[in-house]
Amino acid sequence: MIKLDPAVINRVTKPARYTGNELNSVKKDHASVKVTVALALPDVYEVGMSNLGLKILYQILNDRTDTAAERVYAPWVDMEAEMRAHHIPLHTLETFTPVKDFDMIGFSLQYEMIYSNVLNMLDLAGIPLMTAERDERHPFVIGGGPCAYNAEPVADFFDLLVIGEGEEVIEDVVAVLASWKEDGKPDGRSGFLKRAAKIEGVYVPSFYDVSYQADGTIAAVTPNCSEAKPAIIKRVVKDLNDVKFATKPVVPYLDIVHDRIMLELFRGCTRGCRFCQAGVLYRPVRERTPEKLFDIAEQLVQNTGYNEISLTSLSSADYSHLREIVRGLGERFNDKGVSVSLPSLRIDSFSIELAQEVQQVRKSGLTFAPEAGTQRLRDVINKGVTEQDLEQAVGAAFRQGWSSVKLYFMIGLPTETDEDVLGIADLAYRVLNLYKEIKGRRGAKVTVSVSSFVPKAHTAFQWYGQNSTEEIERKQQLLKSRLRDRSISFNYHDSRTSFLEGVFSRGDRRLGKVLLEAWRGGAKFDGWSEYFKYGVWMEAFEKCGIDPHFYANRERNEAEILPWQHISSGVDKSFLVSEYQQAIQECYTPDCRRSTCSACGVCPGLGVEVLDWGMQA
Amino acid sequence: MGDAGVMEKLRTEITKGEEIRYISHLDYARVIERAIRRANLPVAYSEGFNPHMKISFASALAVGVTSEAEYLDIELNQAVAAAEVQERLSAQLPAGLRLKKAKYVDQKTPALMAVVNLAQYKVIAPAGSDFAMIEKAVAEFNQALEVRYIRESPKGKKEIDVKDYVEQDIAVEQKDGLVILSMTIKITPTGSVKPGEVLKALVENFALNVVEAGALIHRTGLFIANEKVLLSPIDL
Ligand code: SF4
Repeated sequence: MIKLDPAVINRVTKPARYTGNELNSVKKDHASVKVTVALALPDVYEVGMSNLGLKILYQILNDRTDTAAERVYAPWVDMEAEMRAHHIPLHTLETFTPVKDFDMIGFSLQYEMIYSNVLNMLDLAGIPLMTAERDERHPFVIGGGPCAYNAEPVADFFDLLVIGEGEEVIEDVVAVLASWKEDGKPDGRSGFLKRAAKIEGVYVPSFYDVSYQADGTIAAVTPNCSEAKPAIIKRVVKDLNDVKFATKPVVPYLDIVHDRIMLELFRGCTRGCRFCQAGVLYRPVRERTPEKLFDIAEQLVQNTGYNEISLTSLSSADYSHLREIVRGLGERFNDKGVSVSLPSLRIDSFSIELAQEVQQVRKSGLTFAPEAGTQRLRDVINKGVTEQDLEQAVGAAFRQGWSSVKLYFMIGLPTETDEDVLGIADLAYRVLNLYKEIKGRRGAKVTVSVSSFVPKAHTAFQWYGQNSTEEIERKQQLLKSRLRDRSISFNYHDSRTSFLEGVFSRGDRRLGKVLLEAWRGGAKFDGWSEYFKYGVWMEAFEKCGIDPHFYANRERNEAEILPWQHISSGVDKSFLVSEYQQAIQECYTPDCRRSTCSACGVCPGLGVEVLDWGMQA
Repeated sequence: MGDAGVMEKLRTEITKGEEIRYISHLDYARVIERAIRRANLPVAYSEGFNPHMKISFASALAVGVTSEAEYLDIELNQAVAAAEVQERLSAQLPAGLRLKKAKYVDQKTPALMAVVNLAQYKVIAPAGSDFAMIEKAVAEFNQALEVRYIRESPKGKKEIDVKDYVEQDIAVEQKDGLVILSMTIKITPTGSVKPGEVLKALVENFALNVVEAGALIHRTGLFIANEKVLLSPIDL
């Protein structure tokens, strides 16, 4: 057990990040369990604690009498300096046990920009960074989350990855680990990995060899042992009503990013936006029943004492019994001072009405995501939203008393022209004018937030060559020059961060050495603009003789073997190919849950089906 | 909601222990609020669209400071026996928080914030030199007529006289290599000084040789004082 000296902890910012003892945290005697797991999110406490997936896994694992699960997050730079100066190894928040003493450390990989933090945490823990350098004394390093679907850039560092939803597979992995330990750890580390590789959804990168062609593209990905499956298929929970939810989450003392009850209404989204990776990875849509949700909410309010319930899902407004849920939660909890919030709104007047009901008078501002500035480009990305939808929704909001609107867009989308970029400005002015028309005076505030499109693995745009940083910057400036009104505030992302994200989101194993080199050069917290060291990264690419543009900016052809081709989301490649073609032709593909099935392959392929309780009624 | 107009004010005495030493006053207030909600007490909420719990605190405690004398007033719509509140709320308090006493006070009792005017602390730090030297530094502080201290905050620098707020001589003792300073600090409508600041002034102006970074601060009492008596808010 690590004991933190007051002289250390007194010096760091927000020391409560490191002192544990939060409500509902679970402390077990390690001698009384078979398996110990450190659940990690490679970002600062406030971000890590907000992750719903880890909350669920924490509860599932700790409900097992044979397992102890504890939390660990990336120490902030000041704490890291103290830890290194005083030789304090990375440890968990529950029992202050060094991470290297656990059987397993599981990283949630939510975004590519935290890869350097994974290496940093392993190093702080005293665990060898490379799989190949670990022996029986070391924990197994496992990963999951959206980035696991193309974990090739971090393949050298992970012993295994879990593809898909974690609720069931984590128990399978723990059971295999427990029995391997009980059997006396036959065949050492690879003995366990071989057993684990047989579990559906488990990917052991070291069991695959990758060979390359002269032009740098992949020649083949070949399993090197009989346990390695030719394709790893994602895990998916058939009915969310049947799996455990985080009904007793750890309640932090600090004000974290999402410091409220997160009630997951459903998983998946079938609207089919062609840029959206989550839309592919979480198919098909599966709703929880209203009864189940009320039951979960009751437990959560009772177990946490939070005063806000946030309805979280990829597009919460699509829940079939949304009104019933919103009203029902209000009736149950209003007199306990608990409010309900809807974080993501669809652009229609129903949502506004509901937002009104939910938000009462706290008119904090509404957020909409038209994503693109022209109808043509919205058709390309399959964002089934029209100009009129937006005008109607924003108009309704203005009439109800809102005056500030936030609009989210992307630039750098396939087929984009300058006209599309300037369409963003037109839309912003249209919204401003709408306010004048409705209210008869000025006074609206419009925030235009523009991110740069990063093509992601497993989407219809996975073959697309990302815009260069120069091109993105030109478009940002073009838009900036057009958005010169005091009532409009314009913000956009650093093009270099998006570029690096683009490199890693479609990268292959050869990037492992770049990552290692960049980390050695001091890269960490790359997602935090004040710590992002672009120069260090570019030097690392150069030193390793790797051209980052090959990964980010190159248009692939459909025959090319992609680095993640042996990982299956269940969506057929032919569907993605056809969606890319549909995009170029500006053709709309309807929502498969309320229209016809668009034959993406998930339901028949994985033996699951869309669960929409509105359809059953 | 209970009968309109019926409102009961419950005053409580609570500890903030080692387990939650590093949480801020804001964090502490949130912890209390959540515990009250979990205890399902008939607490009153403010009117309006962003209702908040009608609870009020005495004097804010800095991050890193523990206390055995925190006070909290809770307004309830219905009177629940103080013993029952104590039992239900205690069951919901996280590690480090302990409800020592609870009793009803008159609805017209002035707010804690307005009446609490004295706080006592123990500052415990590892000794950096022999005890005689340390005693000497403290004695010099006690004899000084004024002690200038530059307070730096995000709003800028401000000079204060620490002695304006230190009520009695600081007492010093030693135990197992640790130096224990006992201080009594005035809380006035125009401001106060933090025990950490007094320590800093001792170190900077009087060369008090202790390991300042390793100091632990504990609030031992919070009082309503006048010329004659020293009262704890719960004994009112
Ligand atoms: S198989 Fe059909 S119904 Fe199922 S997710 Fe794909 S498109 Fe939708």
